[in-house]
Amino acid sequence: MYDLIIFLILITVGYIAGTLAEKRHYRSIRKRENAFLNLPAVTMKDVGYPAEKVKSAQMVYGSAVISIDYFKRMLAGLRNIFGGTVKSYESLIDRARREALLRMKEMAGGATVIVNVRIETSTIGKRANKKGVGCLEAIAYGTALTIEG
Amino acid sequence: MKYTPRQTESNVNVTPTSPIREFFVLMGGLLGIVILIYILLGLAVNLIVPHISVDLEKKMAAPFIRSMYAQDADTIRQHYVQALIDDLQVRCATLPYHFQVHVRKAPTINALALPGGHIIVFTGLLDKVTSENELVFVLAHEMGHYAHRDHLRGLGRAVVFMTISAFLFGPESGASRMVARGLSMTEMSFSRSQETQADEFALETLNCAYGHVAGTTDFFEKIPREQDPGRFGHYFSSHPENRQRISHLLNISRDRSFKLADRKPLPEAIKRSKDSSTGKPSPSAYP
Repeated sequence: MYDLIIFLILITVGYIAGTLAEKRHYRSIRKRENAFLNLPAVTMKDVGYPAEKVKSAQMVYGSAVISIDYFKRMLAGLRNIFGGTVKSYESLIDRARREALLRMKEMAGGATVIVNVRIETSTIGKRANKKGVGCLEAIAYGTALTIEG
Repeated sequence: MKYTPRQTESNVNVTPTSPIREFFVLMGGLLGIVILIYILLGLAVNLIVPHISVDLEKKMAAPFIRSMYAQDADTIRQHYVQALIDDLQVRCATLPYHFQVHVRKAPTINALALPGGHIIVFTGLLDKVTSENELVFVLAHEMGHYAHRDHLRGLGRAVVFMTISAFLFGPESGASRMVARGLSMTEMSFSRSQETQADEFALETLNCAYGHVAGTTDFFEKIPREQDPGRFGHYFSSHPENRQRISHLLNISRDRSFKLADRKPLPEAIKRSKDSSTGKPSPSAYP
């Protein structure tokens, strides 16, 4: 009986805290994305500036670690039985990648453009304990170019 | 190439969804499947039980029963109940079991039939019975469950349920432990028809043992007051309404013209030991 009560408490706390944290994070992401709108980050290696005009080139990177909450893990566990899109994890990956990109842009400071941007994801802390609450890390890196004139 | 700064309005990477709804749909589906498996395997257990020999039953029960000897208490009453059962076994209800009585200290007014011929009698029952006939009826009722192999059916379903839970949540998880704990109650709950059959078996046995059926319904009259099935209906809810059982037993007694006579009182030693329970039995008592 106690196990059931603890389980219900965990799942409720997981849902409420997880939902609030996600909403707040998305608000902050959108706000900062707007602020960085004039700093393009592209996957191309070359955006056509002549080499002599490039004042500085610097490697920039940003990484973010997002943890799943108890409710999302439960939902994904149920999905594991039936199969299908694991919708509860989608927002985690989305948040981690966008946060990583934003931090990379932040590191670039006053650069004109970030070229050759790559994003990678990895799980950390997976199976750190038996409950298997995993975290997701996204790292974004690229080359920030500052152009003269 | 011109760069036009713009913020995307929609997010293609996140499916707009209601996680709560998804949770309930998946959980409901899972529960439905578990219930279906439980019912199907329960039916399978009913088919298999008649084909399980008593020897096989004893072998299967052995690992679980071993720990029970350690908990045995109350030697005087244990020997008395054992003697009653042995007597019934020899004279009236010869079943292919070697019955072993275990007395447990608990206020429950009941006895349980475990696989392998192990009958658990709670001290609550021994404290409440007023005559030997009454006690013999309860014991014969449990023997009736053995005669119809009801105890295996109940246990079979319990094992099925535990297997499902271990499979879904892992053997060490809280859910599995919860299920295992709950089973000590549910595994021994029988259906109405099983109880009625065991009652009829007990009535025949009582008549055979004493030549009359006095004391048959004494036990039931004690239950409603102390363990009302309406209010605490977790265990006794599986037993048919006690009133129905009483009237059914009286009807049969009348139909078969069973006689009534004076009840045989409990031996003085047993009455005295109600308040003082002795310690553990000597190991030599159990081969």
